[in-house]
Amino acid sequence: MGGKQDQTANGSSKSESMGAKKASPDLLNSSFSFKSLKLKTKQQELLLRVSILGLVYVLAFIARLFSVLRYESMIHEFDPYFNYRTTLFLTEKGFYEFWNWFDSESWYPLGRIIGGTLYPGLMVTAALIYWTLRFLRFFVHIREVCVLTAPFFASNTTIVAYFFGKEIWDTGAGLVAAALIAICPGYISRSVAGSYDNEAVAIFALLLTFYLFVKAVKTGSLSWALGSAFGYFYMVSAWGGYVFIINLVPLYVLVLLITGRYSMRLYVAYNCMYILGMLLAMQIRFVGFQHVQSGEHMGAMGVFLLMQVFYFLDWVKYQLNDTKLFQTFLRITVTSAILVGGIALGVGTASGYISPWTGRFYSLLDPTYAKDHIPIIASVSEHQPTAWSSFMFDYHILLFLFPAGLYFCFKRLSDATIFIVMYGLTSLYFAGVMVRLILVATPAVCLISAIAVSATVKNLTSLLRTKQKVPQTGSTKGVGSSKSSSKVTLDQSQPFQKNGAIALLVGVFYLLSRYAIHCTWVTSEAYSSPSIVLAARGAHGNRIIFDDYREAYYWLRQNTPTDAKVMSWWDYGYQITAMGNRTVIVDNNTWNNTHIATVGRAMSSYEDEAYDIMRSLDVNYVLVVFGGVTGYSSDDINKFLWMVRIGGGVYPVIKEPDYLVNGEFRVDKGASPKMLNCLMYKLCYYRFGELVTEYGKPTGYDRARGVEIGNKDIKLEHLEEAYTTSNWIVRIYRVKPPTNRL
Amino acid sequence: MAPRTGSTSTGSAMSETSVESSIDPLFHLLRTIPFSFLRPPRLRLKLPSFTLPSPMAVFSLILLTYFLVISGFIYDVIVEPPGIGSTQDPVTGAIRPVVFMSGRVNGQYIIEGLSSGFMFVMGGVGIIMLDLALDKNRAKSVKASYATAGVSSIVIGYVMSMLFIRIKIPGYLH
Repeated sequence: MGGKQDQTANGSSKSESMGAKKASPDLLNSSFSFKSLKLKTKQQELLLRVSILGLVYVLAFIARLFSVLRYESMIHEFDPYFNYRTTLFLTEKGFYEFWNWFDSESWYPLGRIIGGTLYPGLMVTAALIYWTLRFLRFFVHIREVCVLTAPFFASNTTIVAYFFGKEIWDTGAGLVAAALIAICPGYISRSVAGSYDNEAVAIFALLLTFYLFVKAVKTGSLSWALGSAFGYFYMVSAWGGYVFIINLVPLYVLVLLITGRYSMRLYVAYNCMYILGMLLAMQIRFVGFQHVQSGEHMGAMGVFLLMQVFYFLDWVKYQLNDTKLFQTFLRITVTSAILVGGIALGVGTASGYISPWTGRFYSLLDPTYAKDHIPIIASVSEHQPTAWSSFMFDYHILLFLFPAGLYFCFKRLSDATIFIVMYGLTSLYFAGVMVRLILVATPAVCLISAIAVSATVKNLTSLLRTKQKVPQTGSTKGVGSSKSSSKVTLDQSQPFQKNGAIALLVGVFYLLSRYAIHCTWVTSEAYSSPSIVLAARGAHGNRIIFDDYREAYYWLRQNTPTDAKVMSWWDYGYQITAMGNRTVIVDNNTWNNTHIATVGRAMSSYEDEAYDIMRSLDVNYVLVVFGGVTGYSSDDINKFLWMVRIGGGVYPVIKEPDYLVNGEFRVDKGASPKMLNCLMYKLCYYRFGELVTEYGKPTGYDRARGVEIGNKDIKLEHLEEAYTTSNWIVRIYRVKPPTNRL
Repeated sequence: MAPRTGSTSTGSAMSETSVESSIDPLFHLLRTIPFSFLRPPRLRLKLPSFTLPSPMAVFSLILLTYFLVISGFIYDVIVEPPGIGSTQDPVTGAIRPVVFMSGRVNGQYIIEGLSSGFMFVMGGVGIIMLDLALDKNRAKSVKASYATAGVSSIVIGYVMSMLFIRIKIPGYLH
């Protein structure tokens, strides 16, 4: 036994030290302490697990820091600027001012009730972290906290993934799941440092809610169910995607009921979570009474009533003790329950109390709906359906491991594995409909792939271990199954099996290392760009930075009157309000389609009609984004057709075929006359006809479209140029007051 | 044990209880109103009984849907890209087919989607076959053939997927 040997060794070393104590006490004391450090297997395993989780935690954080190291610590994209502005307001003015805030700086002249139309979870979380740090006397700026909130919560998600994996399969699967989710590009894309958006916190809340609910179903304990209700509340406060939870959990309960797995644990878990979660969710003003009024939440209520029916029938069966009577009773009850439920649903829908599924979520069920009916939803690039290469880009190896993991889950069906299978399948379907939802599918894909990896590695290592029984009976290590009958059959093929297993293990590690390389490359190249600062490779391979957006916004902030109103396309609204500190007409919230259509109409009309619309909206400045000089392809001319479609959706005056030639969108000499004279064209290409953009090409060569523009001699009557940034990316025009009648 | 909700039906007169001792009000109601003057014909139909399919049957169905989703089937239905793209050779003027839509990550032609999806599913099935090969209750030759088929599926699937992504995204891993 190991222990006894230690003691004899210690005893012998002690006797030695007695004799030679004064000679070198330090050396003998150190050898004494090394022997007592020898850990038992359980402690070794715990040390290994904790150190792996610690490394994964740090890895998840630092993998997301590429853009902070390359550029600076700033907020990315469009939506995060709104979140940053509201967080700033919250830390400065306090929670009550924030909760009751009416903002007159956006959607002029309508204004926006910010307190009632946002999900406060992200802002409150960042503000709490900020106040905690200040309490500990770390005086950081709120912007730093906002930038680093997403990586911090990504690290926390890996810990939750570990516990979830442990719940579904075993600790090995949990560790692999944590490692996979730490670097998975599908998650990194929306949680890099600087991407201060709702999803950063929401994915953590989602996984936490699911973990707590599965734990509640497994144990039937009320406290875990209470925890899952609070997790659901956190999710509702953080993101509009909570609708996924409130539909997946009832669907899961329904599947359990159908497969005959009804139990008291399920009853306790679902009831507690649904009722408490619903009551807590109604505290968020933006959600309001939707849990009892909206069609998207009715599934949960229906399953809740079905659970009560199940429980009631179980109780009656127990009381009656007579099968024939019970069958009759069963038939009556189920018929009446279905009738009553159907009538209630019908009355509710017909009277309008229960609203139907809103466009955003309805387009998930019927993907062709948005394309035909709601151009605003169809125009967002993130809402496009997913091609195979997007899946491959975001998942790599996990696409192979996912079906294998499903197979292992089906081999060992339990309440927990049924849940993860359902989560994986539904989220993968939605990810196929909309690219943005790859994010929601990522935890499920990572968990199921971790099951495949863990089960395969376990199979292979058990092959390695069984062979050690036969030749060396003396030194048995660890557990290994000992089937004496298989010893004989394994004899002949043992070396081959051992080599094969080792080769396959090397293959598994090779694949996982390729996954890590792919993830790091994708993060560095594709997902770490701030979008507000553009970078390109110069002629000598050096990097050129285009900081035009911020240049234009700061010009607005410093050179325009404080009550100036700026009209631009809705993409830039949040950034203008946050950085330029000026009132905008429309912004990214897109809650008022008619207002956006008015702006779209102004952009696509001739200058005189546009001037009338701008005067009616009190516009002082117009901002357009133009990529013709730099070759930047996400500019307003490329977005122009969406302005026409959205404007034409409300004002039939604007007809899309007027701007096309033979169905094709052109800006050169062959373009339609309406296109060559509309406001957007004039504002983008004003004075562009005199510019030489590329060596060997004529003046006025548009590098983004690759053509020479058609109308080079542009005269503006009611607007004048106020500012053009150094690379001509952002152009600002001042609206002139009407001429005097004299 | 779940009460079987699927086995109830309104108006079914096939109950085991005799007429006199039944306390079912629906049964008595139906017996008086339509069926006192209507006579039901003698049929030899049986109510379809609802049995759950086996887990592996459900799994094969799920694998098929996974293949469709991963191949970008929904993208094909909504965006309706052509089955295969085409460019015109600038020198000869002949029309050459283009298999992989280049220029964007989120775009595909139908055939490239289906072939990539097939490679992914093949890799996944390879891992499943590897697990089947380690099942103790089979003959040795069957286990060996499962193992080789599994390993070759994984290798081919992975190599082809890497090849596809390199063609699709020039500058991959540079």
